[in-house]
Amino acid sequence: MVPLPDGRGRRYGEPMATGSGVDAALGRCVEATRTLFGAAACSIALVGDDGANLEFVASDGAGADEIVGVTIPVGRGIAGWAAMSGQPIAVRDVQADARFARDVAESTHYVPTAIYAAPMLDSDGEVLGVASVLDPVVDETSDWTLNVLGTIAGLMAQVTLATARTTGPTDQPLSDLGRDVLQLVQRWQAVRPGGSA
Amino acid sequence: MTVTPAWSGAFDRGVLEQVVGLPLEQVRDWAFGGATGAGVKVAVVDSGIDAGHPRVGGIAGGVWFDLDAAAEGGYVEHEGLHEDLVGHGTACAAIIRSLAPEAEIHSVRVLGANLKGRGALLQAGVEWSVAHRMHVANLSLSSKSESMFGPLHEVADQAYFAGTVLVCAANNLPGPTYPSQYASVVSVAARPGDEEMALAYNAHPPVEFGARGIDVDVAWADHGSITATGNSFAAPHVSGMVALMRSKHPWLTPFQVKAVLQAASVNSLAG
Repeated sequence: MVPLPDGRGRRYGEPMATGSGVDAALGRCVEATRTLFGAAACSIALVGDDGANLEFVASDGAGADEIVGVTIPVGRGIAGWAAMSGQPIAVRDVQADARFARDVAESTHYVPTAIYAAPMLDSDGEVLGVASVLDPVVDETSDWTLNVLGTIAGLMAQVTLATARTTGPTDQPLSDLGRDVLQLVQRWQAVRPGGSA
Repeated sequence: MTVTPAWSGAFDRGVLEQVVGLPLEQVRDWAFGGATGAGVKVAVVDSGIDAGHPRVGGIAGGVWFDLDAAAEGGYVEHEGLHEDLVGHGTACAAIIRSLAPEAEIHSVRVLGANLKGRGALLQAGVEWSVAHRMHVANLSLSSKSESMFGPLHEVADQAYFAGTVLVCAANNLPGPTYPSQYASVVSVAARPGDEEMALAYNAHPPVEFGARGIDVDVAWADHGSITATGNSFAAPHVSGMVALMRSKHPWLTPFQVKAVLQAASVNSLAG
C-alpha cells in the first residue's frame, strides 16, 4: 500500500486515472513519479491542438479521478506558467497565489500547499504539456527535486509522443518501460533507511 | 522546503571555486555604491507587468506581441500598458525595482494565452529591446527549439553590439536552451540566501553567475505575493545590479558589465 499524505492509500495494480485514448504508460509515469517524490499527487496535462488549453490526461494520488479530463486555460495557475515560459518552477505556498486555480483544486477535494511544475518539451522545444507534483516530501538540503522533475518531464514527453504514434501491440514496450520504472522506484523505497514500498 | 534549480549545484560544491577578477579592491562600491538605476531603461521580457502592484511602483511603458499569420514576420506589435497574464513578469519587475528603485522599467509581453509561436515572439521581444535602446533586458524565459538557435543568436549579437545587456535565466532542463546558452548574454542560476545583492561566479560556464532565487518572496498577480524557487527569479536580481552599475557608469559596454559582475562576485579575488 502506498500511503498518501492525507492518510488514504491505493494498492499498486489498481487502475490509474487516465483519460480516454491515453496509453497506460502515462499512468505508470505519474504513479512512479509520485512515488519517487513521496508526493500527494502527480499529474500530466497536455496542450490542446489550439495551443490555448491544458487538459489533464493522467494523474495518480489525491484527487486523481477528479482532475483527469479537466481543461484549464494555458495562462492559469502554476502549471500554466511552466507551459508558457518553458521553465520549471517550485512554489512553496500556492495558497498565497491569488490566481492559483483554487476552484480546480477544490473540485479534486485536495488543495495542495506546494506545487512543482515542469514543461514537457518535444525534440524541437515545443511544449507538449506540463508535469506537476503536489506536496512532494523533499530533503531540505537536497538540490535534486527540480532537476529530476525537469528531466522526468522530458522523458514523459517522449512517452507521450511515442504513445501518439503507436497503437495496438506496439504499445507494449512503453507499458513495459513504465512498469520497469515503477519497480525500480519500489525497490529503491524498500531499501532506503526508513522507507517502505 | 528548499530545493535548488539546475546549475545551482555549480555554486555549491562545498566551497566556491575562487576566480581572478579585475584589479579593483572596492569594486562593489565602485559599481553599485549610491546608485539608484536612474536613467537606465530596463525591459522585462515576460508575461506582462502589473504596473499597479505596490512592489512595482509603476512602469515607464509597455508593448506586447500577438501572433498573426497574415502580418509581416508573423506577429503584430501593440504599444501601451497591459495586464500581467500570470504574475511572473510582475515578480521580475518588483525584484528589479527593489534593487534599482529609479530605473525605467518597460514591460515587453511575449507570453500569451496561447503556446504557439513562443520562440518567434521571444525573438520579437529582444529585437524591440534593442531597437528601443534598452540598457538591460531581463529574460526569465527561454526556448529549447533548435530552429530558434540561429535567429536568437543573431539578435543576441545585435544586442551585444548595440549595448543592450541581455540577462537570461538558465533552465533546469537537460540540454541547451536559448538565449541563455550564448556567450553574448549574462546567464544566471539560482543560489540560496536572503541577500538580494549576493553574486557568485561559476568558473565552469556556460552559466556564469549565481544570484538569489531559492524560496524568494516575490510579487505576483492581483497585488499578491508567493514564495517561489527558480532560476527565473535569480535573473532579475542580476538585472537590477546591471541597472545600478549602468546608472553610475553609462559608458559600460556589455563585456565590461560582465567583467565587473565577475569582479564583484563573492568568490572573486582582485587580480
